[in-house]
Amino acid sequence: MASPIDPIHQFELKNLFSFGRIGNSEIAFTNASLFMFSAVGIIALLTLLATRDRAVVPGRMQSLVEMSYEFVASTVRGSAGQEGMRFFPFVFSLFMFILVLNLFGMIPGAFTVTSHIIVTFALAALVILTVLIYGFWKHGLHFLKLFVPSGVPIYILPLVTMIEVISFISRPISLSVRLFANMLAGHITLKVFAGFIGMLATGLGAFGWIVGILPLGMTVALTALELLVAVLQAYVFTILTCIYLNDALHPGH
Amino acid sequence: MSSEFVAGVIAGGGLGWLFDRLLGTSPGGLIVFLLLGFAAGTFNVVRAAGATGKTGSKPYRS
Repeated sequence: MASPIDPIHQFELKNLFSFGRIGNSEIAFTNASLFMFSAVGIIALLTLLATRDRAVVPGRMQSLVEMSYEFVASTVRGSAGQEGMRFFPFVFSLFMFILVLNLFGMIPGAFTVTSHIIVTFALAALVILTVLIYGFWKHGLHFLKLFVPSGVPIYILPLVTMIEVISFISRPISLSVRLFANMLAGHITLKVFAGFIGMLATGLGAFGWIVGILPLGMTVALTALELLVAVLQAYVFTILTCIYLNDALHPGH
Repeated sequence: MSSEFVAGVIAGGGLGWLFDRLLGTSPGGLIVFLLLGFAAGTFNVVRAAGATGKTGSKPYRS
């Protein structure tokens, strides 16, 4: 069951300590909570300490923080316009949180919080609720124009509107599934290929040690790929958030 | 890309299931909304594919 080469074993939640129960569900501090708290702590420490000096010529850490700020700011300006900058704190927190959690997952033995769909779905629901609440607050019922594309003949307009509504409902699902599936699949693949090395070495003896070089090379290559995926998926989540926020800012199109 | 399509079908199916549950029209709602979800999923994919080549202020609108 919990053999060391079981590729699913790494996603198991462990209760570190329990706060008691509410109804039938236990309220516990799990390893997922631990990693989420440390991600927030590291982001806060990094941004606060690195920018403390406020040097005109930034040091190594300060330029790291300034680069991530500029990167997210240009993404927000590019997809949601200058008005979108009012959501900058939200988008920056989302990006840094997902990025740090994804990169934590790349540390061998660490837990990948973003490989749990409930976490990614909570983040996606946060984004969509922000879009809905801000859209209705800012534009009132004009926000519903988002679902009625202009320039469509009247006889297929109801059908297109229905498809647009379902397409909007599918947004939080695709947003959460994309991040979750990429992280889950990548970590399982890594673990499977790494498991081959051990199996070959124990199963085939000296011959296995030589053949084991192949999955070892694969694991090294996959680690590099996963590092790319970790950063890329954080960016994809961010840019899609900006595009959805743009819909809330300008619903007519 | 594939998650766009799957999400459309899931959203349509879920909506149809809820519709049937609330109005007792099983299985009519599920069939209609699954087909609509299929269309919405295809629409999502087409939009996502069109968005890759462009970098404008509205990359998701073709």
